[in-house]
Amino acid sequence: MIQIDRLTYSYPDSTDRALSNVSLDIAEGEFVLVAGPSGSGKSTLLRCLNGLVPHFTGGTVSGSIIVAGHNPIVEGPQALSPVVGFVFQDPESQFVLDRVEDEIAFALENAAVDRTEMRLRVEEVLHLLDLASLRGRALDTLSGGEKQRVAIATALAFRPRVLALDEPTSQLDPQAAEDVLQALVRLNRDLSLTIILAEHRLERVLPYVDRMVYLSESGDDVLTGPPRRVLRQMNLTPPLVTLAKELNWDPLPLTVKEGRQMAMQSPIPDPKQRIRSGQSAEGRRKGTGARPQITVHNLQFAYNGASVLRGIDLEIGAGELVALMGRNGSGKTTLLKCIVGLLIPERGDITMRDSSLIGRPTAEICLDIGYLPQDPCDLLFADTVFDELKITLRNHDLSNNPPIKPSILMERLELGDVAHRYPRDLSAGQRQRVALGAVTVTRPQLLLLDEPTRGLDYPAKRKLVQLLREWQGQGTSILLVTHDVELVAQAADRVVLLSRGEIIADAAPEVLTASPLFSPQVARLFPGTGWLTADDALASLNGDGNQGPAAGVQRLQENRSTDGGDQ
Amino acid sequence: MLDPRVWLLWAMTVLVTASSARNPLYAAVLLLVTMVVGTTCTVNGGRRAPLSPVHFAMIAIPLSALFNSLTGSSGDTVLFALPGWLPILGGPVTLEAIAFGAVNGLALTVIFSSFAIFNAVTPVRDLIKLTPRAFHDAGIVLSIALTFIPQTTGSLQRIREAQAVRGHRVRGLRDWLPIVMPLLMSGLERSMGLAEAMVARGYGAVSDDPQPLRSQGLLALGLLLLLGGWLAYLFGSAWRLPAIGIMLLGTLLIGSVLWSAGRSVSHTTYRPRRWSYGDGAVVLGCALALTLTLTQGEALYYSPYPRLTAPPFDPLIGVGLLGLVVPALVGKHREEETH
Amino acid sequence: MTVQRLLSGAIYLLSGAIGILTFVYPFFLPVAAGGAGLYARSQQAPLLTAALVGLSVLALMVELQGQAINAKTVAMLGMLVAVTSVLRFLEVAFPLPGGFSPVFAPIILAGYVFGGRFGYLMGTFSLLASALITGGVGPWLPYQMFTAGWVGLTAGWLRRIPGVAGRRSEGSPNPGIGTRVLMFLAVFGFFWGLLYGVIINVYFWPFATGPVDQTWAPGIGLSETLGRYAVFYLVTSLVWDLFRAGGNAALILLLGAPMANALTRFQRRFRFEVGSHA
Repeated sequence: MIQIDRLTYSYPDSTDRALSNVSLDIAEGEFVLVAGPSGSGKSTLLRCLNGLVPHFTGGTVSGSIIVAGHNPIVEGPQALSPVVGFVFQDPESQFVLDRVEDEIAFALENAAVDRTEMRLRVEEVLHLLDLASLRGRALDTLSGGEKQRVAIATALAFRPRVLALDEPTSQLDPQAAEDVLQALVRLNRDLSLTIILAEHRLERVLPYVDRMVYLSESGDDVLTGPPRRVLRQMNLTPPLVTLAKELNWDPLPLTVKEGRQMAMQSPIPDPKQRIRSGQSAEGRRKGTGARPQITVHNLQFAYNGASVLRGIDLEIGAGELVALMGRNGSGKTTLLKCIVGLLIPERGDITMRDSSLIGRPTAEICLDIGYLPQDPCDLLFADTVFDELKITLRNHDLSNNPPIKPSILMERLELGDVAHRYPRDLSAGQRQRVALGAVTVTRPQLLLLDEPTRGLDYPAKRKLVQLLREWQGQGTSILLVTHDVELVAQAADRVVLLSRGEIIADAAPEVLTASPLFSPQVARLFPGTGWLTADDALASLNGDGNQGPAAGVQRLQENRSTDGGDQ
Repeated sequence: MLDPRVWLLWAMTVLVTASSARNPLYAAVLLLVTMVVGTTCTVNGGRRAPLSPVHFAMIAIPLSALFNSLTGSSGDTVLFALPGWLPILGGPVTLEAIAFGAVNGLALTVIFSSFAIFNAVTPVRDLIKLTPRAFHDAGIVLSIALTFIPQTTGSLQRIREAQAVRGHRVRGLRDWLPIVMPLLMSGLERSMGLAEAMVARGYGAVSDDPQPLRSQGLLALGLLLLLGGWLAYLFGSAWRLPAIGIMLLGTLLIGSVLWSAGRSVSHTTYRPRRWSYGDGAVVLGCALALTLTLTQGEALYYSPYPRLTAPPFDPLIGVGLLGLVVPALVGKHREEETH
Repeated sequence: MTVQRLLSGAIYLLSGAIGILTFVYPFFLPVAAGGAGLYARSQQAPLLTAALVGLSVLALMVELQGQAINAKTVAMLGMLVAVTSVLRFLEVAFPLPGGFSPVFAPIILAGYVFGGRFGYLMGTFSLLASALITGGVGPWLPYQMFTAGWVGLTAGWLRRIPGVAGRRSEGSPNPGIGTRVLMFLAVFGFFWGLLYGVIINVYFWPFATGPVDQTWAPGIGLSETLGRYAVFYLVTSLVWDLFRAGGNAALILLLGAPMANALTRFQRRFRFEVGSHA
């Protein structure tokens, strides 16, 4: 179906190769997973399949690629559109029209497909992606997951033989991502559609994948083969696989079910010796005893008469990292916005060091509280990274005596090298750290983060966790809104679960193990142990739990397990 | 629901008729017609003009009367006189001038109402579908703009919040910068993503050839004929008919270029609009009113000068103008047809 | 090639001439006309001119659109029109007096950076989209589109005037425009702000006054017509237009440089070269 031979490509104005000598053969009906860190050329490789590279982007290509008898480099994306369907990362910028059905028909209309045929095809893809009940809906009323399913439907309207998807779930929450991936699995099984998927939520798709392609950061090393073989050779793996590799399980388990079977066969130490590895336990101690940094008391908020927050009580101690979890619409972001004064609560009080925040202007509150919104791009507009920090200082009239020197903060954020680059051209992880810098240059005592790991690859996530720990060590309190269970398992001292505007749980991260909905992979693998991360398990199983926190951290870095596992 | 093209025809017919019908009685009939159509055909939630027709009338009629009476000095019934040393304003203020101004205001109100109704009853997306094939791409530009306006509005809100948490406050025009820039940049970045998605779905498969020389020549010639014909029409009263002919020829030439450009765009419609009997009835009604205007122009016209007299009224013409009320009978907005 | 450019120039010229003439004809009408049967002509004249302007907008659009605009242009135009439309909401947030509208500054800047063709399309589409959304479709629309289109078209021409674009520093981190260009664009924006008001008023003028009234007294001449228009203009819109003009200039001076930088940055991604390959 697809033959790629020594494909090499570089973007215009760039001497670095985005792809270097990539060779690949994909058979009809295969489900191929393309993995690798951001910047490794996953998107570029996918875009070669339908000729977007080089026809849309420019640049220089050598080598050859044949897709179902077509040559995308010569024929171009328009000619390839009936052969390769393409789905992009951002569900917000793929649609031309406003209604589901019309959007699906759009490409067919432009291709002058006969009306009867057109209706048939629209009906067909609505059915395939289970969208029939949404057919008349306005696109901007759909959730992110529904939008991505519509995007898949539009890509399939031409009945292509290949479907390429570029990180279609990276902007979605775990439930929506699951829906999208399940839809893909169905398409592959029922229609034998050839699917090429670039994805960082490996553990979700691994069980269904026929073949994996791993691109390394430099782009010149390509691993390809059945998932179990490739996983053995790569560093970034889900916690389950990391653990299994460490314990020398063979064959590698790809699902929790397979893992459980392996775990049954290997001896598990005496329950009394089961202890959690150091870092979380130590982190948890910090929060206790200290005077609370911020206290939220009986907070109530209603939007258009519907109550969103119903009496929230919450305390965060100095240096404590609290994770705020819950389904979409449970009121997480609303709570954050109430704290910084963007929304005015109906009732209740928020106090920080004995003074109430209610009624104070946002600009004033944010001198003490750093708030990182979901999309860092909403913040960034200056010409350089350095300027972004200076603008915040100027806003607060702190230009002359900054609480922290911008250059020092940039070093700490690992942005020293890019201080004079244009922020919006940086990678997602760097962009986010610039935004973090812009809201923390005032040295706030409390940091509020809204879904900070959305769209980040593993190395960027790891850097973020390290940063948060560092800030925590200096006594900064952190409130983290997230869906990312593995992140919570690694970093949080306490977890607060929100449901329909009420707190339904407020406890240590082990509370996650109680519910399969929020359990990390390791907790499901070893139920009842209280282990949350691969390091917890390894520390206990290898009996080196008493070596203290340092060993745990070190091991984490050695193993470089992905924490992509949500739920 | 009526076809948006039919609504456009209706609004244009009201426009043409109202600009001829300077007889206040016929203008009043037209106003009545638009009011009836307006109340029966518009529904809540449609796009309302920022100014309601009633408010418009309350402003336009007195203003027009005032302006005309002060600057015009014709008419026999002099009410009082302004001192002659006042430039332009100086001279007698006559009852006739006031009446003429008021009738102008009335005609303006009718025109304004008809388009307010047109805007309120036709969904924006249906209007975009009216774009001629030659402007297929232009239609898509508009579709994209409409699709992304709600999103951009949301984006604007998020950006204002994001800047506020950095301590940004809006005091003057300069403080727009931190809001406008991310909005613009995100828009541009999104446009690249969208363009990519469109290309991946086969958009733009048309050749990028420059405009053929022939059609360029025809366009230039058409414009030249329009210009020449119009000059002849304005300045030479004897050449009126040939002038109209020349302008028509120019229009035809431009039209033919549009037609051939449209033919090169191959395109089908997923959801075609079906012509209804209601549409036909409105077209007939409009045809009746237009015929009246073109044949009975002199009868529709009324001048208060030199001395104000009661305007004549021919019931037949009045009934003929009622042809424009047809949309109220057939164009009722039925709920089950809306989504 | 030369023939093509010649024809293209002729289309601009004729379209512009029709536009200008439709705007000034009311002043000449009483002079030119005379005699019986005039009233009918003068009554239908505003409609005729609306049709003529509409046709000239269409003709110029066909010429500028060419056979096809590529997906990047289409997407970018759509998105910019959306952004400009949303900028109007800022007006509500920070009330500013009179005819001030943030629509023109982006049209001028986009025209300057991306060229006259893009500017013309952006001007006409911005006004059309705006009218569609706010329910402002009416006989005045062709004039608004015509004028806004020419704002963008002429902004693109500024580049070609020697001495305006001046020394554009190619390698500097700020690829946009310098202070001198900015001042020039601000003056340009001020000028168009006023002109826009004058033009939109002239179309309204015959509707508002009824041209017949002028012909009633055959003695009325060009000077008196101009005088009456002057009063009409002073009364109805000079203050508004000054706010529009001043607002354009202020917006361009304050936001012009970074906005032009942003647009220029994007221009590179917008145009690219496909390298040779095996």
